[in-house]
Amino acid sequence: MILLLPWIPFIGAAALMMTPSAQESRLRLITKVTCVLNFLIVLAYLFLLKPTQSGYQFFYSFSWVPALGIRYQVGFDGINLTLCLLHALVSTAGAFVSGWPKERMKEYLSFYLILVGAIYGVFTALDMFLLYLFYELTLIPLYPMICVWGSKNKEYGAMKLTLFITAGAVLALLGLLILYRNLGIQSFDLMEAKQIMRGLPFLSRQAMIAGMFLFGFGVIASLWPLHSWSPIGYAAAPTSVSMLHAGVLKKMGPYLMIRIAIGLLPDGVIRWSDEIAILACIGILYAGYAAIHQKDLKFIIGFSSVSHMGYILLAIAAMTPTALSGAVLLMFSHGVMAACTFAGIGFIYEQTHARGVLDFGGLGKKIPFWAVCFIMASLASLGLPGFSNFVSELLVFFGSWNKYPVIVCFAVVGVFVTSLYLLRMVKEVCYGMENPRWESLKDLSTSEQKFPFVLLLAGLLVFGFWPQGLLRIITPAVETLLS
Amino acid sequence: MNTHIALILPELAALSVFLLLLIADAIKGRAKSDVRSRGSFAIISMTGCVFVALVTYARRTIVDTGFHGMLSVDPMAAFFKLLFIGILFFVLPQSYTFMHKKKESPETLALIQWASLIGMFFLASANNLFFLFICIEIVTLSFYIMTSYLKHELLSIEAGLKYLIMGSLASAFMIFGIAIIYVGVGHTGFPVIASAFRSDPANRLLVTGMLLLISGVGFKIAAVPFHLWVPDVYEGAPTPTVSFLSTASKAAGFLVLIRLVTQIFPFYDYRHYLLFSVMAAATLLYGNLGALQQTSIKRLLGYSSIGHAGYLLMGIAAYQEIGLAAVIYYLCAYVVSNLAVFWIITLAHRKLHSDQIHAYQGLAKRSPFLAAVMFIALLSLAGVPPTAGFFGKFLVLLAIVQSRAVWLAFIGGAGVVISLYYYLNIVRVMYAEEPASGEKIRVSLLHKILLGILVVGILGLGTFQAPLHQTVTRIAYYLAQNPLG
Repeated sequence: MILLLPWIPFIGAAALMMTPSAQESRLRLITKVTCVLNFLIVLAYLFLLKPTQSGYQFFYSFSWVPALGIRYQVGFDGINLTLCLLHALVSTAGAFVSGWPKERMKEYLSFYLILVGAIYGVFTALDMFLLYLFYELTLIPLYPMICVWGSKNKEYGAMKLTLFITAGAVLALLGLLILYRNLGIQSFDLMEAKQIMRGLPFLSRQAMIAGMFLFGFGVIASLWPLHSWSPIGYAAAPTSVSMLHAGVLKKMGPYLMIRIAIGLLPDGVIRWSDEIAILACIGILYAGYAAIHQKDLKFIIGFSSVSHMGYILLAIAAMTPTALSGAVLLMFSHGVMAACTFAGIGFIYEQTHARGVLDFGGLGKKIPFWAVCFIMASLASLGLPGFSNFVSELLVFFGSWNKYPVIVCFAVVGVFVTSLYLLRMVKEVCYGMENPRWESLKDLSTSEQKFPFVLLLAGLLVFGFWPQGLLRIITPAVETLLS
Repeated sequence: MNTHIALILPELAALSVFLLLLIADAIKGRAKSDVRSRGSFAIISMTGCVFVALVTYARRTIVDTGFHGMLSVDPMAAFFKLLFIGILFFVLPQSYTFMHKKKESPETLALIQWASLIGMFFLASANNLFFLFICIEIVTLSFYIMTSYLKHELLSIEAGLKYLIMGSLASAFMIFGIAIIYVGVGHTGFPVIASAFRSDPANRLLVTGMLLLISGVGFKIAAVPFHLWVPDVYEGAPTPTVSFLSTASKAAGFLVLIRLVTQIFPFYDYRHYLLFSVMAAATLLYGNLGALQQTSIKRLLGYSSIGHAGYLLMGIAAYQEIGLAAVIYYLCAYVVSNLAVFWIITLAHRKLHSDQIHAYQGLAKRSPFLAAVMFIALLSLAGVPPTAGFFGKFLVLLAIVQSRAVWLAFIGGAGVVISLYYYLNIVRVMYAEEPASGEKIRVSLLHKILLGILVVGILGLGTFQAPLHQTVTRIAYYLAQNPLG
């Protein structure tokens, strides 16, 4: 079944292309069924995975290009299963969210499913070539999706996003190739590479390769100062793309850093950890400061996501088991939260075509259900206990304290900054005077409209009260990775 | 003598198709230029391609030398012949569509295309510098005619003239190089030159001759600093000719270049590496940076084809088996993608009447099929997975990293990002902008099927790489182990 995860959406996309574009309800149905099916598969794996067993489970491996040692190889451990769960939640919510473009829906949905499938591919692959292939594959649908169906400054945003991420990907690819040459084996197999790297003495070149990985994948993880594509890209993207991008795609960066850079070259990563920690801290504070001054809701959340990625990067720099477990849990929590916020903004933008902070007011009275969801997501973002964000941020701080006490202090200030802009946003949007312009604004009414929000918030709350549900699989996986 | 004839069976097959077409054209006469007789002529022509391809495929395993060392057949020759005939198969229907619309005779053009194909076939198995030169001249002369084929259009004539002047210069370089080599060795057969060069790699006559030959080939493959003709010729020449020129002629150029570095001058040292890597870096940067400013799609593709020559030269600079294999794989990927792109330009030109990029506004609404195929082909040229172009670039970069020229790999990586900008710009115009007119562009079923085959090729070479990769690796190992052919 794990083999099918990327392919079900691809088949769904093929089915969409063959459906006549007039039958909109059928197009939507195919998309929803595909995403839900994958969601159920991932959920089943969550219970099937044995936490005590080390190494990858549900492992499948096929020869692909034998001459170069490229294999089609997939498997789960706690880290990528958690991220698959995140992706399953967000992509399903994205399929149900109402902000679909009315125009040329067929193409949009096909691109959406290709994107969903490619991300599943990244999170299940265990061969470096395959990983890279799926990683770049996510770029194909993104560009037209933002460029055609986006809003405000979409062409610039789409191009900037694509070029930045490609540049990072190419840098990482070169790192991969240099690593491949250095390994002295004809294989892109992650496990085989790891074993060989463990046996090799440390070379200065390893530090260079690790740097190429960290900064190459750092682009998509919006490591400061490589983050500038991110707020603009999110602001331009249509709702479901913003959800997937801020929620899931961005997590590919830290995931690949953990999987490839830390997994293969821990000694090389240590050489860079001070730099990464400092950049991450600057990112937390700078993006938080920038978010305070934004007037556009999507820009606020965009900068907020850059700021939150800083915590994850800080944990990667600290490289302790506690911090990395926290980082993986934070990827999950932040992804779900960001998707929920973008879905909320998308919902009102669709009706009003406005998303300035000051354009609204009193939405708590006007559309109470929406406001509750939006406020809950914002509170999760600033780390209120009860949401899994709280647990994960705490783990990150605890895990990084010994190595970077000063930077952690600054990072905690970042939490304060977060509450500044988020509470201000909530105040301006949900409380205060009702704006008479939005007389006809409708709340989330049908259960289909409510479903994505309920799904995402449930994810946050369930693992907020029961973090062990995910930590029980993450921690052993992280320990195996670092051992 | 029989064994000698057996060596040139593919060439004879191509020649017989050529003669058949000549007779058919003569019988038909000038009067009947209606669609039906043109169609039947096209079908004979394309069936001929299949026939020649089958003959070539059946003879692919033969390795032998004949005609007093003039000709030598090896796996690489067979592979490139299949590539050439495949290209012609896809160029022919383009030519028919294009020339029929322009009210020029596609039959004569097809004959010239076949003539150039025969030249390429002999070129692939040439084993003597004089013979090689004659073959190159056959190919190039045909291209002069094809370039200026639209005799009522100024741009086409101008392009033909530019190509003729620059091409003659290249031929002069080549023949001068051959003469100098002859002075040095007293022979023009590849094996003799190879053994002379191996025993004395610093021989000034030989090195000068080699450099002149490389310059001559540099024109054919559009490498900096021999690239000046490319943008003008690509812009002015009829689109099917550009399609043929950018694929077959470039492949032929690289065929000769691979022969040069492996079988004629089989001694690879730091000087070669420096020469090719600097040339590759300059070509790559010039092509990709030049393409950024273009407004005509054909001119843009001209610059981008210079950029691709840079990647191919990187493979040559990496040398080794893995580098040569990468070059051949990249060529195949490039050929498939470029054929698709130029075909779409031909088909779209019928309705758009322009080759400017802004004319492609809203193509996705006027013809979703053409826009989708163009999207995939452009992604392949840019090197995004899961397309053929990605694996080609991957192999080239891998080869260059293996040969420890990391700086060159970085330039290659920068080229990918730059090229993505201008390719995506075309995608943006096609998908995000509103069409100037709502008129649909119809594409006939035949064209859809053939374009579909190309798309399958682009995606197939990007996902099931193993079969072709094995073949090209085998060829590369053969070349490395049998330097004396």
